[in-house]
Amino acid sequence: MVAKRNNKMLFGATAGILFLGVLAGCGDNGGSSGGSGGKVTLRMIESLTSPARTTVLNEMISKFEAANPNIKVELISPPFDQADNKIKTILGAKQTLDVLEVRDLTVSEFSNNGYLEPLNDYVKNWPDYATEVDVAKSVATLNDKLYFITNGMYQRQMFYRKDWFQEKGIPAPTNYQEMVDAAIKLTDPSKNRYGFSFRGGAGANGVPDTIIMNYNFDNIDHDDSTFLKDGKTMYSTPEAKQALELYVKLYKEGSPKDSINWGYQEQVQAFTSGVTGILLQDPDAIPALMEKMDVNTIGTAPMPKGPSGKAFTATGGGGWGITSYSKHKDEAFKLIAFLSSPEQNTYFAKKTALIPIHKSASEDPFFQTDMYKTLLLMASKPDEFVNLKANTKYPGTSQWGQVAMESGQSLLLGNVSVDDTLKKWDQFWADQRANLNK
Amino acid sequence: MKEGQPSVVRRMQSGFRSSPRGFIFLSLLPALVLVLVFTYYPFLRGIVMAFQNYQLFDLTNVHFIGLDNFKTMFHDTKFQHAATNSVYWVFISLILQFSIGLTVALLMNKRFRGRGIFQGFVFYPWALSGFLIGLIWKWMFNSQIGVINDLLLHLGLIHERIGFLSDPSWAMTSVIVANVWYGIAFFAIMLLAALQSVPSELYEAGSMDGANGARKLFNITLPYIMPTVITTTLLRAIWIFNDPSIIYGLTNGGPAGSTHILSSLMLDKIMYGGDYGAASAIGIVMIGILLLYTIFYLTVTRSEKLGDF
Repeated sequence: MVAKRNNKMLFGATAGILFLGVLAGCGDNGGSSGGSGGKVTLRMIESLTSPARTTVLNEMISKFEAANPNIKVELISPPFDQADNKIKTILGAKQTLDVLEVRDLTVSEFSNNGYLEPLNDYVKNWPDYATEVDVAKSVATLNDKLYFITNGMYQRQMFYRKDWFQEKGIPAPTNYQEMVDAAIKLTDPSKNRYGFSFRGGAGANGVPDTIIMNYNFDNIDHDDSTFLKDGKTMYSTPEAKQALELYVKLYKEGSPKDSINWGYQEQVQAFTSGVTGILLQDPDAIPALMEKMDVNTIGTAPMPKGPSGKAFTATGGGGWGITSYSKHKDEAFKLIAFLSSPEQNTYFAKKTALIPIHKSASEDPFFQTDMYKTLLLMASKPDEFVNLKANTKYPGTSQWGQVAMESGQSLLLGNVSVDDTLKKWDQFWADQRANLNK
Repeated sequence: MKEGQPSVVRRMQSGFRSSPRGFIFLSLLPALVLVLVFTYYPFLRGIVMAFQNYQLFDLTNVHFIGLDNFKTMFHDTKFQHAATNSVYWVFISLILQFSIGLTVALLMNKRFRGRGIFQGFVFYPWALSGFLIGLIWKWMFNSQIGVINDLLLHLGLIHERIGFLSDPSWAMTSVIVANVWYGIAFFAIMLLAALQSVPSELYEAGSMDGANGARKLFNITLPYIMPTVITTTLLRAIWIFNDPSIIYGLTNGGPAGSTHILSSLMLDKIMYGGDYGAASAIGIVMIGILLLYTIFYLTVTRSEKLGDF
């Protein structure tokens, strides 16, 4: 009997252990096995996912794998809406991950939590770094540490319906006041025509932030662009109030009511389907515009200026970084260097309609067409279109979009006053600054 | 295996034969471990998190804060609004889904030409994901290029486009409409199955006693399918309460948080705020509400009617 019971217990224990082993096997995140002579597997995740982009990335990765037979790359492509959350979860759980896409919006949060490997020592031995434009470097740098190699840059410009403007006999707007006036003139609800492709949903903070920044042009602290030289936030001034009132007017008199909920998709769709006449967007909207519209009806113009006659242009971007806990950092950088070479990056930029990171790329005929010309023009007049480094050092940057969207919607619906909204925004950033180096 | 050596297998088998309990326990063990690891562990972890400051963007600063998450929540107008919305969302959706679903089931219970195709159309929404339905309706409700506004305009019912999702006075109604469309199929399927199990002798007997259609419906059909009705409405209410996918896809809780229900607000706290503490606190409140609801519902509907649930 005793022997039997022992056997049973032994069997039970063995079964249990075996089963836990299976579970642990499931839980093991396909650890990249490496070692001398073995094949190294790099796990890589993208954030700004789109099906077309993933295809291009896979194509580039295949080339890399062909050139480096001892490295295998596993690309994870979560849907764009959930990607950053997925990345945060993976990083938080320290799951195997070598290369990740870091964005100007997430770089502070990630580096703050110690997830990112600074790349300063890696680029020393990377010749292509010399031909990278400064903006591409500065977007990826925080406190003198380089956290990612930019893979493409975003810079908004104005797209407008040439034919509508000609009909009304108005020139393309050059500043915000003109833009709002033009939008109101173009608006005719009976024809289902509206002036401005407004974005009140996801990503709503882009326009009000830019107008407020431009209305405070002379006082903005260039190294900390949400704040003024005197340390207050840019939302605390009388100019901010003027700017925000203009923004509310733009919604109420020059945009579709529905656009309070619109995100990127709806905003672009409204422009391509002939509902709206002005769109402020990054170059990645260009393919959709060219595919769905008669190109002769689209005009491009530089971003509107503030009352000072100048405009701040903020270049955004994302790129490839390495996790601090990666076991294959050298191979990871090898992959990043390959993807970021002038040849590969220019190809990637063309395919994803972004601004390439190397100086040589702007000479490419592809970027000389009408759609991109304005971007190059803006870049060639740095005194008029002053480039501002994206302000990425605050962890709250990644939450700001949501905060601004919700309070902005309350403002546009008339539930909250302009003053109270500005107070709320001012408070948010003042807190960010107070908590930054506690 | 050599002759004469007792085989391990045979020894184990004889061991089990003498004690079925051990065998049952071992057989259940894998399932038990799975449930513990994937259901109860996250559940307990969520309860712990509700009392912590647990922010995804600053994991270096996780600590216990007592009831602070709950205090913040109850003082938050957004939470109060979402709680009120949840009540509308559940009851209006449920009543409409059930009554339309029952009508459809009664219609499909009769034989007519093309019944199979009709059934296919009715069940189709059930095969779609809530998120996808949200996206489809989002474009249909769009005030500029949406088909619903277009139809209403052409029919002359409205003269100005309605911002179904952008006007707070319409938004909640619009998401409920989409949700009703989605849920009709579930009730139609379930109730049709129940209707088909009603013995035809009952109806024959009813006819002999001179009962007309309405009498048959209320005196034979409904009492017979009552257990199914109770079970499905109970389950469906819980699902509707817990499922934010349609709202998430349609309005994301907007404009200005006016279409949030508790579960979508919870999701919002995680997805956009990274605040797992606040989200877990909402989750605990939701579990409490559901427990009370279930007890109340079963008491009111005299659960013995359910038979083997």
